[in-house]
Amino acid sequence: MNVVILLFLTVGTVVSILSGRADGVLTALQSGAADAVSNALRLSGAYLLWMGLLNIAKEAGLVRALSRLLSPALRLLFPDAGNAKEAISLNLAANMLGMGNAATPYGLTAMRLMNERNPHPGVAVNGMCVLLAVNASCLELFPATLVGLRAGFGSTRPAAIVLPTLLSSLAATVAAVALCLVCIRPCRSRS
Amino acid sequence: MPVAILILLLLLYAAARRVNVFRAFCDGAAQALPLLRSILPTLALFSAAMSLFRESGAFDRLTSFLSPALDLLGVDARLVPLLLVRPFSGSGAIAALSDVFAEYGPDSGVGLTASVLLGSSETIFYTLALYFGSVGIKKTRFTVPVALAAMLTSVVTGLLFSSLFFGH
Repeated sequence: MNVVILLFLTVGTVVSILSGRADGVLTALQSGAADAVSNALRLSGAYLLWMGLLNIAKEAGLVRALSRLLSPALRLLFPDAGNAKEAISLNLAANMLGMGNAATPYGLTAMRLMNERNPHPGVAVNGMCVLLAVNASCLELFPATLVGLRAGFGSTRPAAIVLPTLLSSLAATVAAVALCLVCIRPCRSRS
Repeated sequence: MPVAILILLLLLYAAARRVNVFRAFCDGAAQALPLLRSILPTLALFSAAMSLFRESGAFDRLTSFLSPALDLLGVDARLVPLLLVRPFSGSGAIAALSDVFAEYGPDSGVGLTASVLLGSSETIFYTLALYFGSVGIKKTRFTVPVALAAMLTSVVTGLLFSSLFFGH
């Protein structure tokens, strides 16, 4: 990340100087930083509303219900996860409901539990790789923050993107799961 | 309309499960401002960097340089900053998306496509670093290639579904 941000900043500054617009550098940087505040304000409504609503969903037991629904599929993907299975399913269920913040502690617990039975410390076991790969494909049933941000910028159809987004992340999840299954097969027969 | 139904169902379900809706909402919303506060520095850094990149003319040069390749792939050059930042930083991606919204509007073709791309991908390198770092894993085996393949899939299908749904 450091490299990307350094690239943006140095290239931006050098090009400004070369094209005789060195005076504009400070203005551009400062107006950008000020944009961050107004964008955060646009986000604040969405964050307050959806973190409130999602907490209602969590207390109503929606995360647990979804994680129970997921568990048959998870037996296939995590055949040797043992006692980490519950944390894994809670992590994925929270992610699917768009509760990134609630998902992280479950995910880290799952990693710790899997690592306790890791025969080669420092080398990822199958379950860790699959958990991360499925996490990377980000299947979210309703992208609340995104819809909120669109509404904050005055969109007339903030939720128009929900279905294409869902289909697209579903495709990514299917790809990730298929590749994981291919990758863990040979390893399991070897052990 | 679907969102309204979703919220209604959630409220009815919560009421049926005897959840204290008032308390639960407030407890959840209480975490929103600390979260916003924690992403603000990253948001500021990215917004500043992107503003400089655009105002300096570097962005125009990059896009005109890349445009033959991007045209071939069917990618709008205005999506490049978002795609570059997305795997590394969630706040950075929000800054890039806000930039697109502010310049072209959330309901413009590029605004809709950018929304789909952000919504269907994940900050993979951040998540990998956090999760593997927490248990001291150095050898990540097939995780990075699979995560990148998933990201690539979501970009390709995201572009495809955007043009299917929004016809541009």
